[in-house]
Formats: sequence, C-alpha cells, structure tokens
Amino acid sequence: MNIIKKAVRIKEWQRSSKIAAIVIIVIIAVFIGLSLLQLSEEEMMNYASDDVKQMIEEERDSTRKHLTITYNDLGVISYLSFTTSGAAAIKESYVCFLGQVYKADEGAGKLTGQMVNYTYRMLGKGENVLHGVKLTLLLTTASVLIGFIFSIFLALGKIAKNKIISKICSAYIFFFRGTPLLIQLFVVYFSIPGIFGFAWRDLFDTADTEAVYKGAFVAALIAFSLNTAAYCAEIVRAAIQSIDKGQHEAAKALGMSYAQTMSQIVIPQSIRRMIPPLCNEFVMMIKDVSLVFAISLMDITTISKNIMTSEGSYLVFIPALIIYLIITAIFTYIFNKIEIRLSVYE
Amino acid sequence: MSEYQYILKTEHLGKSFGSLEVLKDVNLEVKKGEVICIIGPSGAGKSTYLRSLNQLEKITSGKIYLKDELFLHREHNRTVHKSTPEKQKAMLLEMGMVFQRFNLFPHKTVLENVMLAPTLVRKKTKAEAKALSIKLIERVGLSSKLNEYPSKLSGGQQQRVAIARALAMEPEIMLFDEPTSALDPELVGEVLNVMKDLAKQGMTMLCVTHEMGFAKEVADRVVFMADGMILEEGAPKELFEHPKNEKAANFLKSVL
Repeated sequence: MNIIKKAVRIKEWQRSSKIAAIVIIVIIAVFIGLSLLQLSEEEMMNYASDDVKQMIEEERDSTRKHLTITYNDLGVISYLSFTTSGAAAIKESYVCFLGQVYKADEGAGKLTGQMVNYTYRMLGKGENVLHGVKLTLLLTTASVLIGFIFSIFLALGKIAKNKIISKICSAYIFFFRGTPLLIQLFVVYFSIPGIFGFAWRDLFDTADTEAVYKGAFVAALIAFSLNTAAYCAEIVRAAIQSIDKGQHEAAKALGMSYAQTMSQIVIPQSIRRMIPPLCNEFVMMIKDVSLVFAISLMDITTISKNIMTSEGSYLVFIPALIIYLIITAIFTYIFNKIEIRLSVYE
Repeated sequence: MSEYQYILKTEHLGKSFGSLEVLKDVNLEVKKGEVICIIGPSGAGKSTYLRSLNQLEKITSGKIYLKDELFLHREHNRTVHKSTPEKQKAMLLEMGMVFQRFNLFPHKTVLENVMLAPTLVRKKTKAEAKALSIKLIERVGLSSKLNEYPSKLSGGQQQRVAIARALAMEPEIMLFDEPTSALDPELVGEVLNVMKDLAKQGMTMLCVTHEMGFAKEVADRVVFMADGMILEEGAPKELFEHPKNEKAANFLKSVL
C-alpha cells in the first residue's frame, strides 16, 4: 500500500524517476499515435497486384490453398506478403509505415519487410507464452526466482555449524558451478526421463501438440533453477558473511535466537548487498536461457537460428541482438532502482 | 534484602584462544546494585571477561553463578554443568550488554532498534513494547530522534540508543564494554551522564572503561585486571591513591 501512496505523490518523486516516467509516457504516446495511422490487413490487401487478388478470390472457399498470406503487425509498422510455391511462384510483399504502403520486394523495402517479419516472429506474437521473448522472460524470471529462494537455504546450509549439512550444500554448489549448464540441461531433459522411464511430455495431455514444448519447458525450468541456485547461493553467502560480526553479537546479547537474528537482522541487511551481483546473475541467466535451443524450445535464439537456416538470412541476428539488449537494459534499470530503494538507511 | 548474596559470581574463570591464555583465573563477586569498573592495560582480558559472562565467548574453565545458582561450570573446555536451556535463556536475559562499537541495527530506526527484542524475545505486544521503548529513549534524551536511522546520529547518540536498547530487555545487570572508547572526546560526556543516571537508580553495572574520572566518581568498587587476572580490587579512592600492586601503580601512573 505504501508504494501506491508514494507513487501517487508525484511531486516527491526523484528527478530521475520523473524523467523516466516522461520518457515512457512519450514512447507510449508516440506508439499509440503512430499505430492509429496504420492500415488494417484488409486495407493493405487492396494494394496487392491483380493476379494475387484474383487468386485470393479463387481460393476463398477452397480448403487447399496455394497462396500463403503473412500479415505481421508490430503496431507502428506492418508487413504483408503473398507467396505461392510451385512453378509460377508469386512473391509479393508490402510494408505499411505512417499510413503509407511501400512495395517490399527488393532493396531497402525488402530488408525492412524482412526485419519486421523476423522481429514479429522472435517476439512470439500471435503465439502462446512458450514462444520467443515471452519464453525467454518467463523462463529467466521463474528460474531466478525459484533458484534464489532455494539459494537462501543453500547459503544458510553452507555456513551452518552442522558439518554434514554444510558439506552437502558445499558439494551441491561445487557440482552445479563446476559443470556446464548445457550438460545439466541435457541430464534433466534426456537422462532423468531415460533412467526413470518417462518422458517430459507425459506430464501433459499428449494429444496436445504443445505437450512436447510444455514438457521441455518444465525440464528447462528445473535445470536452470537448480543451476542458478548454486550461483545465487554463493552471492547470498558472501552477502550474509559480509555483515559485521557485531550485529550477531548484539542480537545474541538481546536474547534473539539464530533464526530471529538471521531473519530480522542479517538477511534484511544483506539483501541490499546482494542486489548488484544478483542483477549480474539475472542478466547472465537471460543469455543462458538461449541454451534451450538445444532442446528445441522456441526462444529468441532458436527462432533466429531457424530463420537463418530456412531462409538463409544472415541479418536475422541483428534484431535478435537488439531484443536481448533491450531486455537487459530494462532489468538493469529495475535492479538499480531496487538497490537505491533499499539503501535508504545508509 | 534480596534472597541471594551475590547477583553474579565467577570462580577461576579461564579462557584460551588456542594456545593464547587470555583469562587465567578470574574471581569476582558482585552484589545487587553495585557499580564495578574494570580497568587495566589493553590485552588484560577485560573485554573477554565481560563477553564470557554473556556467553559471547565460551569459557575454557571456571564457574559462573547467577543469583547464587550455578549457571555454567566448564573444565578443560568441557561442560561439567549447565542449567537447562530455558533457564539459560532466562538468565542471559538478566544481562544487558553495551558494545564499544554500538552495534545498532542500521536498517531499523531508533524506535525499531529498541522495540525489536522486547517484542521478539519477551513476547510483549507491539503497543507495550512501543510505550516502554519511547520511555527509555526519552530517558536517554533522544525523543526527537525516534524515527531516524542510526546512520543519521552521532556516535554519542548511537551509544545512548544502544543503552536504551539493552535496557528495554529490563535486565538486572548491565555490562558495558568500553562504551566510550569509539567516541570523539566531546561526545563522551553525554554517554557517561546516562550511565551515571543508571547507577544512581540502583542498576548493577560492570563497566570496562578507560574513563578514570567516571570510575572514581561512580564506581563502588574498581577492579584492576592485567594478564588475565584480577590483581587488585578495592574502593576507587583507595585503589587510585594507594595502589598496592606494582603493575596497578605503574598503570595508574601512566593514565592519570
């Protein structure tokens, strides 16, 4: 509730927050403004050549269509293409920008059209959450969140006085930091079902065409969570141990138990110190998630690689890089804000 | 009078860190309401002695009695006798401790620092703990700083908050571990004044201190420690003016 109350008092905002808010509002406004100028799919269809129009007309009621229509709307810019396979191949494409329709069959127009099409596919638009950027974001946040919570127990275990618990936690951390993430992913995805005689897709209704993706997602989530927990545990441990010994002594002298000391005194103070390395880990994870291409989950990397192999377009990686860069920038900004917020008492 | 003779008593207290013997044989008896100042050269084991009373250090050997009841008995780094865990906790809560480096909780405000332990450990309600804390913070003269974070306070103010925090557990004995050593000279006075008030109100106090003026004025007894042993103890006037022990005489000559 406090956050909402603070957010409403705009006058008390920090200068940087105001600027950020203005920038975001301007971007949204420009986006909405530009998208109002956009033509709809039907309006763009009118620009098609007579051949194509005729073909659309012919195939309207037939079930077997030769003509493939692709329409990609990115809000401020959209792309429409008609392709047929076979002898008399038709290939026509159009780009609509600022309410104007341009032919996109060659030169700069073709390049723009391709980029719109690739970006559209990598953003996973028109697909469910297991595609493109959505998959990358979901997998990263979910596994870092699960891994972080798990890592607190690992870190407390590693610094515990009980030798057995400490050794087990140390061994876990050593193992997951000492082996490649890709192989860990393979072990979870291939070996574990192999050993125990099941398949990840069995977790879901196998009649569902997406069951394979869903199963792979669960496997990836498990592998990444286990892996990032080991890295986060070292971050958490270092932060906890960086808290002055005097804090433990003061709490003990006041009669507080170990659990109370940790939960009330040490961990709250160490959270702020964890934020910069955790941000690092998160950004690393965004990029590590691209390893799911090895188990054919359709994240940004897999989609861009598929486009590369199927269409031979070597420029597909440029939008891929830009998308990754934007995600990283947003999360770095968020983590910086959290760090400042948690520093109030220093 | 009270139902016990000594509120705190130690017999043959010894403490070693590895091969380094910090406390050799410390025997001390403290009556309720007594103010005892422990003085001595650095490395004498004064702080270690105070900390081992509060179980922040595990003693190697010796006996600690609280209210004439054997609280802990260890020999050769092995526990011979120990009271039940519940009793241990209850007895430890009889001792409040103030540290040289304050050790306030930096992420909590002054009020939260003082309130925390009474709510968590004494299981007081928030309202009770708050009322008590406000009273204690007022007593150390910091009512205007209730909602400040410790980093916004001067060293002297922080130490006064630390005293209030220890008092909030309503202890019967207060242990002060060089409470003014980390302070700028002009801030020492305000902390000593709070301690003087406390002494006047009849609190049992054990102070490790380098403030000889304070010891002279407030202490009922001054204890001179060196090399892990109590070499001399007595009324402040007598000890300061006519020290019998040679080491004590040398030490006093160098500090007075």
